Amino acid sequence: MFMHITVTEAIVLRHVDYGEADRIVTFLTAAGDVWKGFARHARSSRKRFGASLEPYSRVRVHWRPGRGDLASLQQVELLALRDGLRRELLSLTLAGYGCELAMEIVGEGGHQPGMFAWLDAFLDHLAAGGDPASARLLLELHFLQLAGYIPHLLHCSECFGRLGDPVAFSAARGGSLCDACASGRGEVTVGLATLGSLSRCLRGRPEQIGEIRLGATTLQETRPLLETALDSVLHRPLKSKKILEELLRNDRERT
Amino acid sequence: MLDSIPSFTRLVAELAKFPGVGRKTAARLAYFVLRQPEADADALAEAIREVKKNIRFCSVCFHLTEDDPCPLCTDPGRDERVICVVEQPQDLLAIERTHSFRGRYHVLHGALSPLDGIGPEQIRVAELLARLKSGQVEELLVATNFSVEGDATALYLAGLVKPLGVRITRLAHGIPTGSDLEFVDDATVFRAVEGRREL
Repeated sequence: MFMHITVTEAIVLRHVDYGEADRIVTFLTAAGDVWKGFARHARSSRKRFGASLEPYSRVRVHWRPGRGDLASLQQVELLALRDGLRRELLSLTLAGYGCELAMEIVGEGGHQPGMFAWLDAFLDHLAAGGDPASARLLLELHFLQLAGYIPHLLHCSECFGRLGDPVAFSAARGGSLCDACASGRGEVTVGLATLGSLSRCLRGRPEQIGEIRLGATTLQETRPLLETALDSVLHRPLKSKKILEELLRNDRERT
Repeated sequence: MLDSIPSFTRLVAELAKFPGVGRKTAARLAYFVLRQPEADADALAEAIREVKKNIRFCSVCFHLTEDDPCPLCTDPGRDERVICVVEQPQDLLAIERTHSFRGRYHVLHGALSPLDGIGPEQIRVAELLARLKSGQVEELLVATNFSVEGDATALYLAGLVKPLGVRITRLAHGIPTGSDLEFVDDATVFRAVEGRREL
């Protein structure tokens, strides 16, 4: 039976070796789907897939339905290898974190339009040697927004009232809390100006990722806020986050 | 059907645990063992037992060995000043086959892989650092794979080793010997152009 070949642009999120010479590859497609493909002889024959299955690459995948849930990969064209990522350990680790975050938020077989553009811009930015801290924050913020989990920022998440300064923030209670609603339990404190910066960041487009550079205070105050918001969305701790945090801690100690 | 022959079923199940061996191949191998003379089957079983009993990791380089330290670490003809770092014992063997390297080795038994949660503590980095601090080593040749994991490991080692004043080098990569440029993948050509050298 003839089976039609479909062509899809995608980012390689990860691959795992299978058997003697094959690979199972996880992609995020331009349409925002996370799916897996089976690349027969991917490890034994460099002619067939070359470096096109390397994680974090942007590729054009030619595939047809395979047996079970896996697509059968016929050909994969390399569009962007993002070799620049391999010059900095932090960029490489952060790229892995971004891909794992996308995998977790979308979920296998899930669909999340808009995520491809952000991850693609994030990886391009890191490969070009761009500022990693602001890019990480933007990616996390927009992933939360796209998944529908963005917390209330500039008004109280419970009474929709005006906020004081500083603001109590609780991901579990939906975001920022006014003085009357704040309980002091399980909350982090953040400046109103920082929340304003985050709100403006949410209006940014993926292609602007390299133009937005956030100050040290915004980055510092936002970290615990985003951590709690992401923790409430993710089903498990990210493996790459542990390594990333260790790397950042070592960097801080060195400087 | 095979359930009626428990010893055969058990052999198939054990063989199917090997990497790349499915149940069909395992059954084929089991039939082969069955057809062999008893002495050959005994020799196979004995070889497996011997491997498990005698082979251990060298306490210096962590290559597989029957004697500790291994012959590569005790060979006086090898250069103490250069250590080649590889991910797995089979990578060491690939370099040894070429007879192009006469220094010492260090096997990491893995590579950094953030997506799998494999950090420096899960591989033999601390032991490598201890060897470097002995002061004899002048150069560290990083021969990890040219994958995301291998490159991440190389970058991590560079960050650790440079402050010690040890020269750190990476295997060159590019067009395979004997191949035509038009058939080589784009990424390899790209890196070969980037890594070009004077003639």
